[in-house]
Amino acid sequence: MDFLIFENISKSYGSNKVIDNLSIAVQKGEIFSLLGPSGCGKTTLLRIAAGFEEPDSGRVILDGQDITNLPPNKRKLNTVFQNYALFPHLTVRDNIAFGLKVSGFSKEKINDEVERYLDLIQMTDHASKKPSKLSGGQKQRVAIARALINKPDVLLLDEPLAALDLKLRQRMLVDLDWMHDEVGITFLYVTHDQSEAMSISDTIAVMNKGRIEQKGTSVEVYEAPRTSFVAAFIGDTNFFDGEVKSIDGDYCLLSVESFPDIRVYNDKAVKPGGKVYLSIRPEKIGISHNKPSEEKINVLKGKVEEIIYLGSHTKYWISVNGFRISVIAVHNTFMLDIKEISFNDEVYIYWSLDSCYMLEQYKEEDEALLTLPDDEILDQETV
Amino acid sequence: MKRGKFALLITLFVMVFFYLPVVIVAINSFNSARFGGEWKSFTLVWYSKLFADKNIWSAFMNSLLIAFSSAVLSMILGSVAAFALEKYKSRFQTIHRMLLFSPLVVPDILIGMSLLIFFVAVQIQLGLMTVFLAHVTFSISYVAMVVLARLQDFDSSLYEAALDLGAGRFNAMRLVVIPLVFPGILAGGIMAFTLSIDDFVITFFVSGAGAATLPGYIYSMMKHGFPAVINSLSVLFVIATFILVLMSRKFLVKQ
Amino acid sequence: MKPSSYSKKRNELLSSFPSFIWLVILFVIPIGVIFAIAFKAADPYGGIGEEWTLSTIKELFNPIYPAIFWRTIYLSLISTFIAILLALPVGYYIARTGKRMREIFLVLVIVPFWTNFLIRIIAWKVLLHPDGFIKKILVTLSLADPNSILLYRPETVLIVLVYSHLPFAILPIYAAAEKFDFSLIEAARDLGASRFQAFRKVFIPGISSGIVAAFIVVLIPSLGSYVIPELVGGASVEMIGSKIAQRSFVDRNLPHASALSALLMLAVFIPLFFAALWQRKAALTGKVK
Repeated sequence: MDFLIFENISKSYGSNKVIDNLSIAVQKGEIFSLLGPSGCGKTTLLRIAAGFEEPDSGRVILDGQDITNLPPNKRKLNTVFQNYALFPHLTVRDNIAFGLKVSGFSKEKINDEVERYLDLIQMTDHASKKPSKLSGGQKQRVAIARALINKPDVLLLDEPLAALDLKLRQRMLVDLDWMHDEVGITFLYVTHDQSEAMSISDTIAVMNKGRIEQKGTSVEVYEAPRTSFVAAFIGDTNFFDGEVKSIDGDYCLLSVESFPDIRVYNDKAVKPGGKVYLSIRPEKIGISHNKPSEEKINVLKGKVEEIIYLGSHTKYWISVNGFRISVIAVHNTFMLDIKEISFNDEVYIYWSLDSCYMLEQYKEEDEALLTLPDDEILDQETV
Repeated sequence: MKRGKFALLITLFVMVFFYLPVVIVAINSFNSARFGGEWKSFTLVWYSKLFADKNIWSAFMNSLLIAFSSAVLSMILGSVAAFALEKYKSRFQTIHRMLLFSPLVVPDILIGMSLLIFFVAVQIQLGLMTVFLAHVTFSISYVAMVVLARLQDFDSSLYEAALDLGAGRFNAMRLVVIPLVFPGILAGGIMAFTLSIDDFVITFFVSGAGAATLPGYIYSMMKHGFPAVINSLSVLFVIATFILVLMSRKFLVKQ
Repeated sequence: MKPSSYSKKRNELLSSFPSFIWLVILFVIPIGVIFAIAFKAADPYGGIGEEWTLSTIKELFNPIYPAIFWRTIYLSLISTFIAILLALPVGYYIARTGKRMREIFLVLVIVPFWTNFLIRIIAWKVLLHPDGFIKKILVTLSLADPNSILLYRPETVLIVLVYSHLPFAILPIYAAAEKFDFSLIEAARDLGASRFQAFRKVFIPGISSGIVAAFIVVLIPSLGSYVIPELVGGASVEMIGSKIAQRSFVDRNLPHASALSALLMLAVFIPLFFAALWQRKAALTGKVK
């Protein structure tokens, strides 16, 4: 059931269009992530849902009711703020009780509920502390409990883990997932971190420039990105300019750069002569000293330019006719026993015809995203 | 740490520079000789004379009255002004801001002189009333400055969080904004109070003949004969300031 | 509901008008009146003449005024310079020292900051009095003639100016130094700078906003000082401030007092203008947010 619906939402700040006629629906009970780079409009959309911003046009519908013009305090939505926004003058207990107090519940009811939620987030021992005495993870849990106690229809989370370090972030993700199962409330989760979004979400909507690029499950957006933006933003990929040479049943033949012709599964309505991108994820590519003999693969020959050993996998940069292709070899055997591929070796790289895909050409302004610095890519991979 | 030693040396020198005169005045306040060129004998006579001086007491009461009333009014005017500055970012507020901050950079004597001419021109009788008006005028700016700094540090997401959790605008102000900004408002009020108690120059210009505040009375004592009770009065002043500063530091550190 | 822009405007005006109107009536108009009266002449009865005239402004060139004017400027500049020179090591030291010492020194600086400044001048009057402590010492050490006078000299006015305004210089410099990242000095030393070079090329630029603030808060009250020249300078070391007071209270010549006030206002605005210029430049180059 469509539970929270954004309908033709547009929002501009001056001449800057932040949200561009966006429509999307969140299902009841799911964890729905808005994933996109900073400035893509995801936080603005969240603030429109919460009532802190008004859309220039369009409607927000919650459980069949138009809430576009309701003030924040009249909406059955609660927010977990990026910086937590815990009231510094109130104790943990009073922070959590705030929503119930302003709604005028009885003292007994408030006390009971607060104790229950303190217990849920395992903060009973810290209930009388002020927020300044808490660690980042504790603040985070208080912020979540403070919102959840009001039994909102939807919990809005604005980059809730951005201020935490990596290890804590991973633990909080598990906690969040657990809390979601516990309370069964719909989560609308805003993040720029793909691994966060992929690990927690039922549905991911990838946002760019105020529009939704693709909506789907984690597997869908990773394995079958619909646009070059999605392919580049989620995970790591190799992109090539290509032209359709001919179509041969389920497959089509591309001429790509100066490589030998490449066969790729034909899932798009393309005609010979059409310009496309070819995208191949690095981990889908095999690497070997010997020419592979399998059927239905594309094979290229190149030279090893760089090797980065990362424990669970190794990343290679292979130069093929002057183009650098990144290849990731996952180690599922004991590495010390294997004859290593070393710097400057001549190697074959190959991938199944079904493991690469064509995409429509991306726009120039997306290009910045394709050249993320290496360490950032590594960071995301290790999560 | 040669540099550290040099800095320490200068710091100690400055402290001696600050306090040596005060210490000598303090010693002198117990000296039965008048100017402390030599020690005659220990006496408390200057203190008893000081407490017996009715004029000093009435001047002191005038000072308290003016300081308290002008602090309260400027606390209200300055805080409201700071809220307006922080909330509305219009062109009018740019002018409002300039207007609020220019008294801070105009020398006291010019404020006093201009108000004197103004009061005379509009024929307001000089007295405690004009002193009160003048003190509110220069205090508003200080209060606004202090409160504005507090408001700028205020995290607006706290206000949003209050709304988000179901509080109306009024409750969000009452339960979150005011409690968090109040120390700033109070600090502004205390500053206004202190400035008012301390002010001599502006008061001197606008007080006319009768309405002497304590600094005005001290000044006239200095001009006319420099009675030795001034020493004991100074000592009490410095002690009072010390206590107030220590208290305010405690209050600040506790925050 | 979003408040309509009409009621928003109304709320803005309601919250701005009390302070706005108060300051227009009791600050802007009186200052404006000063400038206006500078273009009037005094009448013989201590009032203000009817006619508009430039004669009052012209009289500012009367030989006694330029001398007073220059004395005001140079005493203010020198005292500001000395105050900042002393405040730099003090601010540096207080910012670098341990927590306990820092609190003690801060209190010791803040107390004179808040002590009534007449009281602080009293101490010097007592010290410098012909029968006072300092004279006694100087005479005993035969550094001064028994008949010499310590009060009413430019040097004395200078010392008392520095004494009165030094806390104003220390506090902003300390505030800037406290935010300064002292590992930068270590980095400079590591890169081969001497202690003095590191202090001059890294620390001083790093706290420049504090130095500019100190400059302004010391220079402006110095330029406008009235009580200090009056009490320790006397008739021989007059400054603009004391002249303004004398013209308004003793000579009852309000136009002259106004013209001098206008002149003082201009003298104040020149350093302010440069400070604003500096701040703008610093903001453009990203030094100050």
